[in-house]
Amino acid sequence: MVRDSPSINTNNLTAVQLMELDACSRCGECVLWCPTYDASGKDPGLAPRDKILRWREFMNKSYGLRAKLFGPKKIPEDEIEQFKDDVYGCTTCGMCATVCESGINTVELWEAMRANLVKRGNGPFGKQGMFVKLIGEYGNPYMAAKEERLSWIPDDVVIEDEAEILYFGGCTAELRQKKLAFATARVLNKLGIKFTMLGEDEVCCSSALIRTGQYEIDDIARKAAKANVDGIKKKGAKKVLYACAGCFRASKIDWPRLLGEELPFEVVHITEFLSDLIKQGKIEWKQSIDRTVTYHDPCHLGRHVGVFEAPRHVLRSIPGIKFVEMDRIKDNQRCCGAGGGVKAGIPDLALGVAETRVKDALEKKPDILSSACPFCKRNLSDGRDSLNLTPDELEVEDIIVLAAQALGISLDDCEDQAR
Amino acid sequence: MAMEYFAGISDTLRITFVQIMILSTLAIIIFLYGMYINLKKWGAGAEEYGGSGTKGSLLAFPRTLIRQMSAEGQHHGQHIIVTLVLDILFQRRILRRSPLRWFMHITIFVGWMALFAMSLLMFLVEMTHMVLHMGPDPEVFREMLSLPNDIFSYVLLTGIIIAIARRLFMQRMRESTIAYDSILLGGLTVITITGFIADGIRNGTFWGMGLHSEWAPPAALFHVIISLLFCIAYIPYSKYIHMIAIPLTLLANKGGE
Repeated sequence: MVRDSPSINTNNLTAVQLMELDACSRCGECVLWCPTYDASGKDPGLAPRDKILRWREFMNKSYGLRAKLFGPKKIPEDEIEQFKDDVYGCTTCGMCATVCESGINTVELWEAMRANLVKRGNGPFGKQGMFVKLIGEYGNPYMAAKEERLSWIPDDVVIEDEAEILYFGGCTAELRQKKLAFATARVLNKLGIKFTMLGEDEVCCSSALIRTGQYEIDDIARKAAKANVDGIKKKGAKKVLYACAGCFRASKIDWPRLLGEELPFEVVHITEFLSDLIKQGKIEWKQSIDRTVTYHDPCHLGRHVGVFEAPRHVLRSIPGIKFVEMDRIKDNQRCCGAGGGVKAGIPDLALGVAETRVKDALEKKPDILSSACPFCKRNLSDGRDSLNLTPDELEVEDIIVLAAQALGISLDDCEDQAR
Repeated sequence: MAMEYFAGISDTLRITFVQIMILSTLAIIIFLYGMYINLKKWGAGAEEYGGSGTKGSLLAFPRTLIRQMSAEGQHHGQHIIVTLVLDILFQRRILRRSPLRWFMHITIFVGWMALFAMSLLMFLVEMTHMVLHMGPDPEVFREMLSLPNDIFSYVLLTGIIIAIARRLFMQRMRESTIAYDSILLGGLTVITITGFIADGIRNGTFWGMGLHSEWAPPAALFHVIISLLFCIAYIPYSKYIHMIAIPLTLLANKGGE
């Protein structure tokens, strides 16, 4: 008798991850904290616990005892399709992993499931499919010509051809939120730090492809990582600075995996770099910023990599700033809603999460809601606008921009094309 | 006679020690087959990041686990001893989230493990006595274990009562409970209550519910069978697998995020 083949396969899921499905004790802690489940009006399909349960059932139907004895049980295609929709309704913020009593690495699990479903022909979700074409063809998700990566650089900024320190600008800062790139470059110049950049040779870090499970398509992500690493090596850099939490996370965690080797340089977020300089007494602030500031931990900088203190240290050291913490910070921070491809794929859901996070901030009555990631800035700004607040009522700004202001650097000449 | 004494089984029921051994062996075989299925199922996964699935090698899972345990953690890495003591034995991740849930789980965990260990010890003493004619007298040893047995049985019962109350009276818990959860709790409850009843009948305590001592052997037999079924045989096929999978997950992820 010919047995049916399993409806699902185990591609991209490691043996340990398949075991983790059996480790869920269904305590429901993840459900209490999941930002997209909350913002969706408590759609049960988005609950992390439910996703683990469903994939476990898929596995048991395909590879469990019954499948062993009588052959795999067919899983209706619409169930798999529904599962795909739900597993993409996640910002991969990692809050579920933080609170998981069983210690399941859920972020890796969701990303592995996404990669599996992409290979199977179900994923990704909606517009996320465009990332492959855009990053593969243009090297960035904004359809910009590579020459445009240099278009933001003002005349006064000095960028070395080669240097031990390299600033990896990232697509969003170089092509959209140029104020961030302006501020970073001018701060480094002001502090006398000689740095270089990849310029036209820079390629998207591929975070969007990795988070949405599309990193294996046409080998784009690996090729991009290799191009960037080779470029960085050629520039002689020993330390690479990032002002984008997404690029930072991709470089620190994903590139070594994609390339199968350790990176030959140090990956450092700009706030870590500034914090070190402050500790060494090498930063002399020029201006006071007499505002109340709170800080939103980007998931990719905080929970994913563990950088919590450096951004706070920078903010606290800036004269005039009255720093206030939100209730949910650091490991327990609430996601801004932009990550995991949700902003591109399910913008309404992303906005819902952002509104909640802005409300978290408003409880502390800050003048400025700061962060250290252009995606957080964009989505939190959208959340603020959606709550009908003006920038005068709540300014959303990146730490590096605040640092630039405190160093007396003018950014008035910066043309920020889009938030 | 020591062997008749084992688990309260007597010749009047024509259930002998050998038959209990056969039942135990059967339970272990069912357990091992279940673990074989699980290892094959887990082993169908890739052995490395982004890898392809396999047909399910028995060694794939242990290999991947060891590799992951020895890999350097990003920022969450911690020493294996810390994971074993604080995360697996002390279960601090549960304590961080909910002291009540931690108390419930730790009482079930401690009660269950202690009773299991004492049952195993009793079995070893009886075996040593029967085969090698050495070691402590089983009856004396059983009396020695009587008090800790009682204590840990009540510890276990406390946890079970809290667990049942949470499932019944907390709306969030009640609404999210599925058969997967109920079978686990139901099985635990049956094992614990039958243990109390069997012991109560034998010793004529409150738990015996006034039943005549001739009911002690069948009550003990039922308790033994149900315990073998749930404590051993059923583990790989049910939520009981979390007793194995959670410690392995904590080890693999260095205590978790």
